[in-house]
Amino acid sequence: MTKGVLGNDPFQRGAAPRTDDAREDKAAKKKAPASKNAKGAKDSAGKSAKSGGKARGAKASAKAAQSPKPPKAGKGRSTDTKPAVTAPKTPAVAVHKFEARANGRGATSESPPKHEERTAKAPHTTREAQAAGKRGTPPPSRGADASPQASRDVSGTPTGKPGHGAPSSRTLAPAHPGDEPALLREPAAPHPSASGSPPSRPQVFAEEVHAVRPEERTVDRAMTEALAADAAEAAAKTAVDELLPGRPGQDRSIERVLATELVAELAESAVRQVLDDGHGIASERDLATLVATQVAEATAGVAVDEVLDRQATAPEERALSTAEDGDAHDLDEDEEEVWTADAWQRDPDSVPVNPPEEALDEDEGEEEEVWTADAWQRDPDSVSPNGSQAADDLAEGVERGEQDGVHISVSVIAGAVPTNVEPEVELPDESHDELPPSRRIPLSLVTDDAPVRRDEPEQGASAFAGTEEAAQPQGFAGRAAGMFSLAREIAGQALASEGLGRAVGAMHGLMEAVRTGLGTGGGSRLDDYGKDAGLVENLQPVLDFLYEQYWRVSVEGVDHVPRGAAILVANHSGALPYDGLVMSQVLQRERPDLREARWLVEDQVFHAPMLGTLFNRLGAVRASPENALRLLDEHRPLVVFPEGYQGASKPFAERYRLKRFGRGGFVKLALRTGAPIVPVAIVGAEETSPLLGRLPGGFLGFPSLPLTAPGPLPAKWTIRFGEPLTMEGLPPESADDLGEVQRLTEQTREAIQSMLQALLRERRSVFAG
Amino acid sequence: MRIAVTGANGDYGKLLLPRLEADPAVESILVLDTKEPEGTRKVEFHRVDLTRYDAESELTDALTERPVDALFHLAFLFGPILNGPLAHELEVIGTMNVLTAAGRAKLPRLVVPSLTATYGARGNNPALLRENSPLFGCPHSRFVNDKVEVEGQVRAFRERHPDTHTLVLRFAPLLGRSLDNPATRLLTQAVVPTLLGFDPLWQAVHEDDAGRALHLALRAEVAGEFNIVGRGVLPLSGLIRQAGAQPLPLPGPLFRAALRALGVMGAGTLPVALLDYMHYSWVADGERAESALGFVPLHHVKDAAAALRRSQS
Repeated sequence: MTKGVLGNDPFQRGAAPRTDDAREDKAAKKKAPASKNAKGAKDSAGKSAKSGGKARGAKASAKAAQSPKPPKAGKGRSTDTKPAVTAPKTPAVAVHKFEARANGRGATSESPPKHEERTAKAPHTTREAQAAGKRGTPPPSRGADASPQASRDVSGTPTGKPGHGAPSSRTLAPAHPGDEPALLREPAAPHPSASGSPPSRPQVFAEEVHAVRPEERTVDRAMTEALAADAAEAAAKTAVDELLPGRPGQDRSIERVLATELVAELAESAVRQVLDDGHGIASERDLATLVATQVAEATAGVAVDEVLDRQATAPEERALSTAEDGDAHDLDEDEEEVWTADAWQRDPDSVPVNPPEEALDEDEGEEEEVWTADAWQRDPDSVSPNGSQAADDLAEGVERGEQDGVHISVSVIAGAVPTNVEPEVELPDESHDELPPSRRIPLSLVTDDAPVRRDEPEQGASAFAGTEEAAQPQGFAGRAAGMFSLAREIAGQALASEGLGRAVGAMHGLMEAVRTGLGTGGGSRLDDYGKDAGLVENLQPVLDFLYEQYWRVSVEGVDHVPRGAAILVANHSGALPYDGLVMSQVLQRERPDLREARWLVEDQVFHAPMLGTLFNRLGAVRASPENALRLLDEHRPLVVFPEGYQGASKPFAERYRLKRFGRGGFVKLALRTGAPIVPVAIVGAEETSPLLGRLPGGFLGFPSLPLTAPGPLPAKWTIRFGEPLTMEGLPPESADDLGEVQRLTEQTREAIQSMLQALLRERRSVFAG
Repeated sequence: MRIAVTGANGDYGKLLLPRLEADPAVESILVLDTKEPEGTRKVEFHRVDLTRYDAESELTDALTERPVDALFHLAFLFGPILNGPLAHELEVIGTMNVLTAAGRAKLPRLVVPSLTATYGARGNNPALLRENSPLFGCPHSRFVNDKVEVEGQVRAFRERHPDTHTLVLRFAPLLGRSLDNPATRLLTQAVVPTLLGFDPLWQAVHEDDAGRALHLALRAEVAGEFNIVGRGVLPLSGLIRQAGAQPLPLPGPLFRAALRALGVMGAGTLPVALLDYMHYSWVADGERAESALGFVPLHHVKDAAAALRRSQS
């Protein structure tokens, strides 16, 4: 997970170099948040979402944070968007404030009140009030303390504010897991700042840097919050469980979950409140746990009421949610399941939420996996380039989620908590940063190292273990259900994955190739030579794989191939003639300016069932003067293997030793048409399908059947193109001069042989290259 | 312009006659056949049986009595040939009679249809067969080999009578709803056995294109052979699918044996010789017809096959 975070964080990539100037510029800093802000909001959302069981708590807090003052949140949100578009200074400040606030709450709190808002605002407030009352802090206080921080930041004390707000916000930024969306949106942000002030990005980095110092504290805080969240959850669960059975109603499970979440959220927000006011970390933990538990128990009743209420009032929502609820929860599912389902379903909606990779939850690797998957899946959406919408999206996403009735909780905030937990978050990890997005995406699903790392911060948290256990009693049924939904999730993700899609495409192509070979392929895009463009297209994934990853074809001197008609003379090698196919791929990839190349294969291949058909469809043309002339007339590069069948059937011991070059047919061809001859040396094909022996193959029209490896071996291919031999000064009639033909044949042969030897000398390993 | 036509009731005749009827330049059509075609206005019917010993003099009389501007010799068999010797009589001896009469009558123009199948389906064929490629025919097929022999006669005639504009149109398999030839019979089955591991390229001509090509031959300035093919090529399996049937690949030896057995029992619907054409490609190059004859196929092979499918339903 952490890995993912570091690797994905675009900020960090740029951070190191830019920090200094960034730090110096305060004004700029103010603006930075603006740009970041969208990001921050987003990923906090993502994070929160990710953080699984804990996240729920985080969510709750988020809810608490925002719901009490919808106006404020709204403002924050709107500002988020605005600065991107128009925004001069002020909005930026506002945004910053907002962000600070959000972060201050443990970076957890930005999440809009998901279901609370969805359902009933009034009850919610009441609950809030209650919670607040318990805590002894008025609901608005949260906002209040956030704003001081914000103002502080604004006022230009950007550096190492140990205060909750600043540090957490800072940590938040670097921690952003995969900020692709944010990154992409960034373009919008620069506009405002374009007016003289430095671009917003550097500032972000500056903040990050400062954040490093108070990091420990932040981490602690985050951990505490996490702990509290767990405690709250556990407590909430118990309380709700106790309460619910007494009530009438059919759908206990859903309600239970909802209620539990509500309670947990409330409890967590309370904890956060306490924490914000508190001081000593060590004591905070106990305190937090305590508070969480108490609040949870106290609010359970209210929550249950509300949930029931809500269920009653919003039947349609229920309907919507049933599907997913149904699978997610049989009576005793634990949070994880809830989360899984929830996350899953939210995916499509929550465009804004950024990839929350670092679910730091302390729970299970599974959760993280889920989340990662989730995030990953969401990525494509969030990449959408419209920066200004980021914030809006966030809000909308949340609301959408609410409308669906599906998601119980919210995604936004919790992320920060986890972030803080990660000690490594701040360390720039260049190696990871370099991972291209394409690499990142596919299976980050299983992150092995994440749990390990997480352990470190958790060690101190004994209470944590306790809470975990509290959740355990759910029993095997719950576990099983959880595993099932998890498995389903993973399967779903896998199916949607790019890699698997490619694999399926490749399989499809291979199947089609087999069908073509069998003679039932059909095919409707054939040219006169029998090449089936459709088949080649379908096989392209396979060819790409072979070319790029399996054989790692490296090409030298391809520029020697002249435009127009040209005869590429290569050594034939290997028991199965892959070389023609590879040559055509080389030319197609490296020299798209040339016309499509064809290669000539010996008659025997065409007499062979399946192989002949398949090769023909892939672009092989039977070697005959008529075909060669016609192809050259079409100004195509023509690949010929003058060794012919002899070349492809030499024993492994004689590999790369050129056989007789036929009767010089290619030279005659060149002389008649004036097409230059380009010698080509191919190394690697011999080892790809070494000829181990021969079987009598007369019944198939072959002199012998090659006995070779069952499939192509992963030898590294190197293809070198030599200087072309031009036919200038040689009249077409000299094609009848056998001496001249012989001379040119020998010249070509020697050029190829010497290139082969050079390549073989340079080659250190057959498979590694 | 007066036109003479033999075999007006055959597939080619059915394609050509309506076009001649519609051609205002054609004043009358002299049909030399055993049976008068129906529904025609310009036709003068002269009964001639090409298989008779006296056919040659009949033809000479008919052609010299009222001179014609062109003779379409279309009397070829495409249906299932149950009587091999009779078919040989008609195609080879009949053509000999026609050519002799044409020579005597000093015909200005002679058009004879042939098949691209006469090139033979061989593994050694070039990707595209030009008109000057040798005609290897098909070793076991009387159907094809008779056409090869006819081509030989026509070529000899052309050399002896350079004044006669002699055109040979080598048609790819004709596909159309009204036609009955080995290709249509093959493709109108529900399941078409093919050779496992082989999927040769096939061409086909839509019947409309074929009729147009014949009609174009009436005014062509050039002489010689022309490959008349549709646009594009399809692998046999694709053609079968397009025609609404299902290919069933069978291992070669088994298939061959089965076909022979069926043939011996008299139940054979497919000539064994067709196997060659399921084995290797014989793709003819229609470039010359396009440049010299002005024949541009309007229909893709796919359309031709699809037309077949429509006609089935």
